[in-house]
Amino acid sequence: MSELNDLLMPKLGLTMTEGLLSEWCVSPGDAVSEGDVIFIVETDKVATEVSAQAGGTIGELLVQEGETVSVGAVVARWTGPGQGFTTDQPDEGGAPADGASMSSKEKHAAKSADISESMPEPQGVVSSSVRVVATPLARRLAHEHGVDMVGITGSGPRGRIKAEDVRAVVSRSDQARSAFLEQAAERTPAGGVVQTMARRMVEAKQTVPHFYLATEVEVTELMGLRERLNDNDDAPKLTINHFIIAAVASALRAMPEQNRIWDNGDIVQFQSVDVGVAVSTEKGLMAPVLRDLDSCSLDDIALRATDLVDRTREGQATRDDLQGGAITISNAGMFNVTYMTPIINPPQSAILGIGSVRELFRPATDGTPVLHREMGVVLAGDHRLHDGASGLRFLNRVIELLQDPYRLLRGV
Amino acid sequence: MMFTPRLELFDMAELRYAHAINRALAECMEEDSTVFVFGEDVADAGGPFGVTRGLASRFGEDRIRDTPISEATMANAAVGAALTGLRPVLEIMFMDFMTLTMDAVVNQAAKARYMFGGQTSVPMVVRTPHGGGINAGPQHSQCLEAWFAHIPGLKVLCPSNPADAYGLLKSAITDPDPVIFVENKALYAMKGEVPEEAASIEIGKALQVRKGEDLSIVTYGATVHTVKRAAEILADSGIEADVLDLRSIQPWDESAVLASLRKTHRLLIVHEAVEAFGVGAEIAARMGDIGFDELDAPISRLGAPFVPVPFAPSLEQQYQPGADDIVAAARNLCA
Repeated sequence: MSELNDLLMPKLGLTMTEGLLSEWCVSPGDAVSEGDVIFIVETDKVATEVSAQAGGTIGELLVQEGETVSVGAVVARWTGPGQGFTTDQPDEGGAPADGASMSSKEKHAAKSADISESMPEPQGVVSSSVRVVATPLARRLAHEHGVDMVGITGSGPRGRIKAEDVRAVVSRSDQARSAFLEQAAERTPAGGVVQTMARRMVEAKQTVPHFYLATEVEVTELMGLRERLNDNDDAPKLTINHFIIAAVASALRAMPEQNRIWDNGDIVQFQSVDVGVAVSTEKGLMAPVLRDLDSCSLDDIALRATDLVDRTREGQATRDDLQGGAITISNAGMFNVTYMTPIINPPQSAILGIGSVRELFRPATDGTPVLHREMGVVLAGDHRLHDGASGLRFLNRVIELLQDPYRLLRGV
Repeated sequence: MMFTPRLELFDMAELRYAHAINRALAECMEEDSTVFVFGEDVADAGGPFGVTRGLASRFGEDRIRDTPISEATMANAAVGAALTGLRPVLEIMFMDFMTLTMDAVVNQAAKARYMFGGQTSVPMVVRTPHGGGINAGPQHSQCLEAWFAHIPGLKVLCPSNPADAYGLLKSAITDPDPVIFVENKALYAMKGEVPEEAASIEIGKALQVRKGEDLSIVTYGATVHTVKRAAEILADSGIEADVLDLRSIQPWDESAVLASLRKTHRLLIVHEAVEAFGVGAEIAARMGDIGFDELDAPISRLGAPFVPVPFAPSLEQQYQPGADDIVAAARNLCA
C-alpha cells in the first residue's frame, strides 16, 4: 500500500465549525473511485455526502459514526493520489487541490463545494468556499433582513435561492415574533424623554469602551458618624449619598486626571469639581450635576443636593443643571442590590454605581468572624481616557474617605 | 382609375393601420408644404401595400412621386432634400432593401448634425415595413431595426397599432432628425381606435398594454399582439404579466422598463427579429446593470432563431416567436 494521506472534515458552510460524521460509506481496505461517496456529514442545516474526486484505497477510519469533529480534523487515511487531504505534508508533490467533492443529499446547489478550497492551511486556518447560488433580489432581501443565506434551501432552478425563499424565512421568524408579541398586552410608542434616553444609552454602550471595577466599602464608621451628625434638628439631614458626593468631589480635586472627558478625539480637562447625581423621576432617569464643589462643606452639599434632586423630580431642572462634569453617582442602595453596574452618561468618562448596605461576617486576622456593614461599589470608566490602574487609584481614594469619613468633615 | 378615399372615412374613430399612416401623411402634407412623399409605386399605384392611396390626386406630382428602383439614389436624394430645407418621407418597399440605403442613412443622414456642429439637421423619415408571416421569403421578411438602433444620430420607431402608427408618424415627420419608421406588413389591415389625442405621441415613451405583478414582458411591433395572447394564457395559470410596448426602439424607454422590473423582478424581452445581437440583448444588458439588485431570475430573451427567414409557410410559422413560446419562456422565468 502506498503512502497514506489524510481525509478531512470539510467546511460546508460559512458558519460551520464542526460536523457530525453520521455515516461511513466505506470500510478500511475498500477501493473507491472518483465520485464514490466516502462519508456523510450532518450539520444543523443539511446532510451532505462527501465523495471522492479521485480514486484510492481507504486505509483507516479515525472517527466513529455519530462522532462530531472540528472542521479540518482528520477523519480517515487513504491512498488517494490527491495530496490535498494532507495537512501536515503540504509540500509533498501532487496537486494540493484535488481530493474530494461533495454534493448535497437535498439537491442543494448552494452546498456544492470543492473540498480542496475548504482545506485548512497547514497552520489550521480554515477558509470558506461555499458559494450561495441566489438571485440578486434574494441577496438584497437577505441582507436587508439580516438573514444568513447559507441555511436557506433554494426553490429555483438548480437550487437557486429566490426572493420568495428568503421571504418565507423572514416571514416565519416574523410570525414567531409577532405571535410572541401579541401575547403581550398592548403596544404604545415610547415618549420623547424615554426615546432620548434609549438613544443615548445605546450610543453610550456602543461607542464608549466601558471597563468596570467592583469592590466593597466598609461603612460602619460612616453609618455611625451620619447618625451622630443627624442627631441635630437644626442642621440639614445627611444621607449616605451626601457623603459619597463629598468623597467623590474630594477625590476628583486630589486627582484631576479623573476630572476629564473624551470629546471626539480631544481630552477635555475640567477645572471645577462637578459631580452628577442620578435621579429617578416620573419621566425616567436623569443625571443633574452639582457644580463647583471645591471647598464645599458636607452641609452645603446636603442642601444643594437636596435642592437639585427636588427640582429635578419636579421637572424644574434646567438644561444647565443636566450637563457638565466627568462623573455621575448612581445610587441604587435603596433598591436592595449588592452591585449595580452602570452605563456611563456621555460625554462623561465615569460613573459610580452604589449598592445596598449589607451586614456580613468577615474573618479578622486571627480568623474570628467580625460583623461588617458593606456597600458594593462599581466604577465604570471610559477606557479611552482611563484604565484599571488609574480607575483603582481613584476608587480607592473614594473608599478611603468613606471608610474614614471624619476626613470629610473638613469639607471637599 | 385610382381609389380616392373619402374624407369622412378618416373621421371615423376606428381606422386600419395603413389608413392611419395615410392620414398622418395627409395631415402633415396639409400642414407643412415642405413635406413630400416619394418611393417605388407610391404615387400612381398608391403604394405596394396601399398606404399612400389617394395622396397623388390630392397633393399632385410635386408632393408625391414615383421613383426608379434604386434605393441608394432615393435615400441620397432624401438626405439632400432634407439638408436643403424639405421634409422628405421616403418609402422603402421592404426593410430588407434598406441594405441599399445604408451609406445615405448611416454615413450621411445620421452624421450631418454632428459633423456640421449642429448648424444643420436632416429632417427625413424613412418608412419601411419589416416582419414575416406573409410568406415573402428570406429577402422580404427581415427585421433589421437593431442595425439602425446601433447608429448614433438615428431614431427608430416601431408602432404596434393604428393609433401609434398615426401619432408616431406625425411626430417622426415633425422631428428635426432622421427617423427610421418601421411598419409591419402583417399589421396594415389591423383595425383600431385612433383617438384625437393620438395626434401627438412623444418619441421614446413606452406604453403599458397590460398590468401584472409576476413578470415584465417587453416587446414592440406586431409581437405586442402575440405577447398579449400569451399573457392571457399565462393569466389562466395565475401568472400576471406586465406588458410594455416600447413603441420607440431608439431612444427606448429605459425608465419604464426599470419601473416594471422593480415591480415584477423578472424580465422577458420578445421580438420577431433574430435574438442574437438584437434589441433584446441591449435591454437585457442594460437592465442587468442598472436593475441588477431587482432581479429574481435571469433576464431572458425570445426572438427568431439564428437563421434566415424560411420561405416555406410551415417553417416560417415555426420561425416567429409564437404565444406558446412566450408562455414557455415566461413559465421558465417564474420557476
